[in-house]
Amino acid sequence: MYGASVDDIKQDGKAEPERLAEFEARIARGEKIEPGDWMPAEYRKQLIRMISQHAHSEIVGMLPEGAWITRAPSLKRKLILLAKVQDEAGHGQYLYHAAETLGATREEMVEMLLTGAAKYSNIFNYPTLNWADIGTIGWLVDGAAIMNQTMLARCSYGPYSRAMVRICMEENFHKKQGQEQVILLSQGTPAQRRMMQDAITRWWWPTLMMFGPHDTDSPNTPTLVKWGIKTRTNDELRQDFVDQLAPDLMALGLTLPDPDLKYNEETGHWEFGSIDWDEFWRVVKGDGPMNAQRMAARRRAHDDGLWVRQALAAYAEKHGSLN
Amino acid sequence: MPDTQWPRFMVFQQMAPGEPLVHNGTVHAPDIEMALLNGRDVFVRRPRAHAMWVTPVECIFAKTAQELADGTWLAGVQDAGGAEEKYHVFGKLHHLGQLDQLGMVEAASAPMAMKRAIEGFGGKPVLVWWVFPAARTLYSDEAEAESLFQFSESHDFKNQAFYPVITMMRQMRAKGKLED
Ligand SMILES: [Fe+2]
Ligand SMILES: [Fe+2]
Repeated sequence: MYGASVDDIKQDGKAEPERLAEFEARIARGEKIEPGDWMPAEYRKQLIRMISQHAHSEIVGMLPEGAWITRAPSLKRKLILLAKVQDEAGHGQYLYHAAETLGATREEMVEMLLTGAAKYSNIFNYPTLNWADIGTIGWLVDGAAIMNQTMLARCSYGPYSRAMVRICMEENFHKKQGQEQVILLSQGTPAQRRMMQDAITRWWWPTLMMFGPHDTDSPNTPTLVKWGIKTRTNDELRQDFVDQLAPDLMALGLTLPDPDLKYNEETGHWEFGSIDWDEFWRVVKGDGPMNAQRMAARRRAHDDGLWVRQALAAYAEKHGSLN
Repeated sequence: MPDTQWPRFMVFQQMAPGEPLVHNGTVHAPDIEMALLNGRDVFVRRPRAHAMWVTPVECIFAKTAQELADGTWLAGVQDAGGAEEKYHVFGKLHHLGQLDQLGMVEAASAPMAMKRAIEGFGGKPVLVWWVFPAARTLYSDEAEAESLFQFSESHDFKNQAFYPVITMMRQMRAKGKLED
């Protein structure tokens, strides 16, 4: 059966170290690991953790933007935002599927999210206070996510990599619609410019935190890199992001809330001030501005959907068409 | 009744008439008809589709090149006789690719279908093999292709080319330089 054979004990008589060496050689050759192939238990565990967290982020990530669908300033922006939020729902589905190929069940994953046992991206625990936040999320937050996802599209696990290729294709629209709005608002009326500056001031640091702790505080990273799950570190991706975004935002006349931000001619990189890791860990542990609301919204959606799940299951049973 | 996320169904999509189907992923649904509609909603938001197939996940019989490598599994497959039925064959041909439709075989069991698939389509190296019974697959109705899928193509704003941000940024930088 597809997607479950990872649990089988392979009776090929090979010792564990020999299998591990073979597994690592496959990854070094750029081969993809597929459901059914031998993999170390730790590889599977790390992938389930990462992929389900990623799926939860797509699902919770619909909430901050969804809040503005009814208040979009034009029909055009409303249709764009609707399509973007709908895409994020699809991304959540693609990713849950990838985790399911490793033996995780949807019921378990939903349960982990709703009980708070699983995490999702910290960024969605910040509020969307004005319309300019929507452009900012598209350009900065989706932009940061794309850098991470482009890396993961090359990862060694076939189903995760395929989900990422599909997601990256769709994410470029998310980023560009956001960038277009930031450009237009930053060149708009004084009120629009104030709104835009306010959004950038609030989102800049939380976006940099999206890449996760410094490499020195990411104990999993070396293993993830060795097994081709990650191919670049948190700090490398964060630096790329600042190098791309800082000059563009400044070209629009926007000010970034970092007095230490400056271009280093010698290295060719933008240097930036230190990240408030106390804030980061506070939000991870549940004490961010919107953690409680986000969780309450997910639980309410799950509870409100119970009768639909039950009604459809009862219908399928009655008509004998369950599968 | 216990809460449920429903069973899983595998979804395959054909982008244009005559093209092989490709594997997309799975959806959860209470029954196979709903699985087809959920598959459309999840996978056909863009760019397009001409046909879609769904089959219950447990109907997929899979083997990877690694599992087949030493030949013992294949050597152990016996034709036990019995009524034959049609099986669809999908295979992954490239490390960076997905599973593509290869064709069809007839066999009395899934392992026999796998064996015949490998004999019939194994000319090039296949990294992952799937076979599943045609009788357990639901196919979108050709006559409904337009109402099921066509609208996905008509949303320009879902295409990144709709947003001329590169030109806009270039203009902004040029303007900044003039003012300096
Ligand atoms: Fe997404
Ligand atoms: Fe997105």
